Amino acid sequence: MLILATFLTNCSGVKKLSIFKEEVPRAQLNLDKPTALQLEEIKWIIITSDNAEEVFNKMKEQGLDPVLFGLNDKDFQLIAKNFAQIRNQLMLTNDLLDKYKKYYETDVNDTNTKK
Amino acid sequence: MFGSLKIAMVAILITGIAGAGMYVMKLRSDNAILKANQLKLESAITDQKQVIENQKKDFEEILDANKKVNALINALQNDLNDLDRRFNKKNRDIGKLAIQKPKPIERIINKGSANATRCIEIASGAELTENERNATKKSEINPECPSIANPSYVPY
Repeated sequence: MLILATFLTNCSGVKKLSIFKEEVPRAQLNLDKPTALQLEEIKWIIITSDNAEEVFNKMKEQGLDPVLFGLNDKDFQLIAKNFAQIRNQLMLTNDLLDKYKKYYETDVNDTNTKK
Repeated sequence: MFGSLKIAMVAILITGIAGAGMYVMKLRSDNAILKANQLKLESAITDQKQVIENQKKDFEEILDANKKVNALINALQNDLNDLDRRFNKKNRDIGKLAIQKPKPIERIINKGSANATRCIEIASGAELTENERNATKKSEINPECPSIANPSYVPY
């Protein structure tokens, strides 16, 4: 009995727990950049009271519906400026995205610097 | 009497020697711990130096990124101001010009529109062509957005 007790108490030792921390880096997002736009070319037609008939006749000859969606000269300037602002914002956002990627993902190709 | 005194003296001597021995052993153990601590501290200092170095590098990178973003904002704003200037240069009235010369103005407007379309493509991430990249003359550049379309162009 005594021998058995000795066996049980001495041989079945409790192992020391070893707790360790290992830093696991956060998985990278790695989203692909959106494909660059390929825009369609549009054609502006200038129509005045003098050339209106000629313009509409030409459109009919070309098989186009003789209808125009118009802007006056001031609104044309505004639409040009609006597009320029949208372009600037797009450029800035893309540039910021590249900079964030470059900062947080070291092996990223900065497309803007490639240009 | 003397016998018990001798025994007491010997006991004190042995205790003294044992005590001294234990003290020396403690000192050696303390010394080993101190050496280990010293190594750990040196390693910690190296780590800290590396952390400070990395932080310095990060700050420099952040400053550089900020500078570049500000430069880009300025360049884009210049392009926008230039568009405004072209519309109103020397009290130019594009409406009146279009009435006088509808065909040439139509050509200019369509060319400008194609250039502006290309600017949007570039802003969305399109690669620059060789011609765009190497353009240095006014006649070669995209006047709608030279800052992003023609990196080699220096305004003159």
